[in-house]
Amino acid sequence: MQLTLPPRMSPQQFDAAVKALQGAVGAGWVMTTDQDRDAYADIYAPGPETLWGASGAVAPSSVEEIQAVVRIANEHKLPLWTIARGKNLGYGTAAPRMPGSMVLDLGRMDKILELDPELGYCVIEPGVGFLDLYERIQREKVPLILSVPGNGWGSVLGNALDHGIGYTPYGVHAKNLCGMEVVLGTGEVVRTGLGAMTKNHAWHMFPFNYGPSWDQMFTQSNLGIVTKAGMWLMPEPDSSLELNLDIPEAEDIGWVVDTLTPLKLGGIIDQSIFIPSWLGKMVILGQRKDFWDKPGAIPDWRVAELLKEHKLGYWKVQIRVYGDENVNKAKAEVIKAAFKKHIATPMEEVWWRRGDPTNVMDTTLGVPSAVPLQMGDWVGGKSAHMGFSPVVPATSKHVLDQMKRSRKIISDHDVDFYASFTISGRFANNVNMLMYDRDKPEQVEAIKKLFNALIADAAANGYAEYRTHLGWMDSIADTFDFNDHAMRRMTEKVKDVLDPNGILSPGKQGIWPSAYADQRGKALA
Amino acid sequence: MKGARTGLVTLSLALALTGCKVVDTGDKAQADGAPAGPPPPPPHQMRAEMAAGDRLHTTMSGEDLFSNRCGACHLDWGMGTNLITKQQVALGRPPSMGLLTNRDDLTADYVKSVVRMGKNAMPRQTRVDVTDAELDKIAAYLGKGK
Repeated sequence: MQLTLPPRMSPQQFDAAVKALQGAVGAGWVMTTDQDRDAYADIYAPGPETLWGASGAVAPSSVEEIQAVVRIANEHKLPLWTIARGKNLGYGTAAPRMPGSMVLDLGRMDKILELDPELGYCVIEPGVGFLDLYERIQREKVPLILSVPGNGWGSVLGNALDHGIGYTPYGVHAKNLCGMEVVLGTGEVVRTGLGAMTKNHAWHMFPFNYGPSWDQMFTQSNLGIVTKAGMWLMPEPDSSLELNLDIPEAEDIGWVVDTLTPLKLGGIIDQSIFIPSWLGKMVILGQRKDFWDKPGAIPDWRVAELLKEHKLGYWKVQIRVYGDENVNKAKAEVIKAAFKKHIATPMEEVWWRRGDPTNVMDTTLGVPSAVPLQMGDWVGGKSAHMGFSPVVPATSKHVLDQMKRSRKIISDHDVDFYASFTISGRFANNVNMLMYDRDKPEQVEAIKKLFNALIADAAANGYAEYRTHLGWMDSIADTFDFNDHAMRRMTEKVKDVLDPNGILSPGKQGIWPSAYADQRGKALA
Repeated sequence: MKGARTGLVTLSLALALTGCKVVDTGDKAQADGAPAGPPPPPPHQMRAEMAAGDRLHTTMSGEDLFSNRCGACHLDWGMGTNLITKQQVALGRPPSMGLLTNRDDLTADYVKSVVRMGKNAMPRQTRVDVTDAELDKIAAYLGKGK
């Protein structure tokens, strides 16, 4: 990709900034060739990759080097875009919101600094991937298990900082963060929580500051660069029981949610419960053309046929309880009794006991894998996906309301309906996967049109997305409109104070510093 | 429908033949007469550890570098292995060719090109993902086709 310069920067100024960065981190870790820019582009970009093109990337290996990079960025007015491992697939991958930004790639900061089985936590740098942490735990036989997202290729901290979700009792990943070290836009290092006291012993155990707490302010955020953080991990249970049940009809999701939410709130089920629709199973079995070879969405009659042929329900409920075997047995009885009120089919029970093998797809036992990304092969070609992900209260009223509306809109745009609900407490994340072949411009255009329609419809009905792609960060921020966008105005005031030159990830989640306020609304999908 | 079933059987067979160890997880779906899906996936295959040191002048072997840097997708039952297995089977080659380490037709230049330029579902890898020095070793290791 050709060089896109940051706003108001001349080629000569850019060159001077690059030379200074080379001096700070070494010439080999400043990457500014056309090929490098391609490698940092969004491979799933819904549209031209140049819309979100980086000018290059710089990869420091220590906090001191990050501080040096930040000093140089301030001096040269070089905007940075911080990534952990850059595997934010579906949301922009490693690419920056503002074209011309220099990617600050923290992939080299990959140290596991602490791993504590007694209190169940680790302290890690942003470059540590789920696989790295998982394999360290396996090698050292540490009795802890991870909570992994669908894509286990990425960074543990990056995922948590971007509000990623997993499917164990620790599935709301941002809630597991406890005690961070952060480099601010001025280059100053701060520690949150009890870490504000030098050598405090409980930094990664107690989740609050003395006074206002700031940890969450650095998630989905451009207010600082998180250089390490404490992360709570679940002690490995003695046993775990998986209860599987196929649920026949789309509308059944209403009673399923009304059955599960009280069990979740009542402490019978601890995990974040993932309920994928049938297509989640089919995408692993083959390609779309194997099942329906005509353009347009698969019609309902064919869906019904496929479910029958493959003995699938419309939804797959997979509940997992963790802990003492007798407690798990008792919990299973409560869960089975609750479901029996609605469906006669018995639940399939699969036990796991400590020491039993796990397989690569045991996501709910904390095994990281990239295989779920294989779903892209459903459409074939240069496959990509985006997620339309509104958050809804975990009751049948809201879940059915959102599903009926989004299902109709998706069907009206002739796209396959592939929804899932993850119940994490009082709310459910409703992720709707939209898959497309990037080599087919008409598919890309259709998906964009559909995405815009879904956002507008959800907002009009009082629901927001929990996360989104670069190209819609401003649009989603616009939907948070209370009191003339008072929250955005407040955050942008904070942004200007902490990062006066606006060099840290301008535009992230729709937060623009004054220095680049003129870029708001540009480079949209 | 015939095509769908054939596709299923092909994938199932293909994955079974890649040399993956199969774990008995008691998949009851097959016992009650549902169509045989793919066999249960194997356990996670551990990657080689990264050695400490300057990644711009690596002293690690191509084999270990491949395992660590490419292993997230290209070991047993990785996403890349699964997709390539399907492609290789469609080309009439044995399913074991889904594992890049079994391929005898890859050249070093081709490996480098795909790693940097990407291919289908394979994303381009940055020089932080894989440094040039690491890629040289990996390409030499996989490039048995010379």
